[in-house]
Amino acid sequence: MGEVIVITSGKGGVGKTTTSANLGTGFALQGKKVVLVDADIGLRNLDVVMGLENRIVYDLVDVTDGNCRLKQALIRDKRYESLYLLPAAQTRDKNAVTPEQMKQLCDELKQDFDFVIIDCPAGIEQGFKNAIAGADRAIIVTTPEVSAVRDADRIIGLLESEGKHNPKLIVNRIRPRMVKKGDMMSIDDIIEILAIDLLGIIPEDDYIVVSTNRGEPAVVNPISQASTAYKNIVRRLMGENIPLMIIEDNTSFFNKLKKIFNL
Amino acid sequence: MREYVIFKGSRNGLQLVLDASVEFEILLENLAAKLESAVDFFSRGTMVEVPAKVRNLSFQEQEELSKLLAGYGLVFREVNDQCADDIAMFETKEIERLVIAKTIRSGQEIIHQGAVVIDGDVNPGAEVIAGGDIIVNGTCRGVVHAGAYGDIRATITAQRLLASQIRIAGLIARAPDHLDQPDQAEVALIEDGIVIIKTVSMQEDEMHKLQA
Repeated sequence: MGEVIVITSGKGGVGKTTTSANLGTGFALQGKKVVLVDADIGLRNLDVVMGLENRIVYDLVDVTDGNCRLKQALIRDKRYESLYLLPAAQTRDKNAVTPEQMKQLCDELKQDFDFVIIDCPAGIEQGFKNAIAGADRAIIVTTPEVSAVRDADRIIGLLESEGKHNPKLIVNRIRPRMVKKGDMMSIDDIIEILAIDLLGIIPEDDYIVVSTNRGEPAVVNPISQASTAYKNIVRRLMGENIPLMIIEDNTSFFNKLKKIFNL
Repeated sequence: MREYVIFKGSRNGLQLVLDASVEFEILLENLAAKLESAVDFFSRGTMVEVPAKVRNLSFQEQEELSKLLAGYGLVFREVNDQCADDIAMFETKEIERLVIAKTIRSGQEIIHQGAVVIDGDVNPGAEVIAGGDIIVNGTCRGVVHAGAYGDIRATITAQRLLASQIRIAGLIARAPDHLDQPDQAEVALIEDGIVIIKTVSMQEDEMHKLQA
């Protein structure tokens, strides 16, 4: 029996979809059987980020409406055999599915997969309620911005009132140089407010933009800093004890030299 | 039996007032009994409003409530406006202090007629409204309102008082735009008609002097 993990944030644009794609691919790299579920009905993105857009025949709403079998709607990833995607419908809206249907869907997927990763839409309305309905645990993504942290806090409260306790936190898009200068919230500032366990930190990385546009998750690239960070998170989720990576500013000439000589 | 559920007339139909201090299951039973006793009284399609602020209902609770009302032909609707005296309608003889052992997060709201003690933080975007004193055994960054029913003697105490707004009775004090981090517990109270903040130790010294 697998585990259902929902990736949520409240605020939009903090990296839920990127995180979903990278964690899913990361699990597949570790040999796990994974399915990514795009719960953002009407604004589907995960298929694009995964580079699987042109393979969609059936979607999530087709499954819940009974237009097709679950197996028919699952798209196998082009790179990894054990990675699947259940795309969202683009022509419908969030009300096309009920929390009960989502729960049933998750229970069904759990039978066949080690990990079911749900990409939650932004907001706290129907789409959010659907996305968290079947989740066993939640991962909150936030960026070091006051507004994103505020929304994350709201989400933690809502999860609590739905009986989903102990969500884990990923802080995305940290820029060490700005934190050092005091221009950006530090990890400690964020943890002090949210008071939940930190699962990992992802440095700001230009490569994410490249990978998103190419439809190829960043974890595939061994030299991207974000890739290492995502791989660490995957291993932590699998129960390994990996220390937090020290994100350093590698833009200086000396650091670049160090990297070339692998020091 | 004390009434935990009250129907009030409102502009858009009926307003349902739920006692925030009672378990949801009991409220639901109470409501069912009430509806059953007056089936003919409620006309079909009447809008029933439940002020969101009275209690923070979970999605599931909202659904259960809406189902129960639908059984009697009533339409459930959550509204966001609510005045404090809705709660004052419940006559309580002894007002107990409410102790909450968790962090109050953005969007969550604690409303209580008596004193409120929070063993945790009050995060930005959260609200605590109390008829009596408020004590936060942690960092207070949200909005706190003590003496909400007019008690000007009410105080607000926090280990770290960084509240964006402090309200006592009818007075509102806003935090300065640049707030220094306090390094010790502070208390907010009304003195000479304005809200002032002093350290707890200062306050205690003054109390001793008064007694002596």
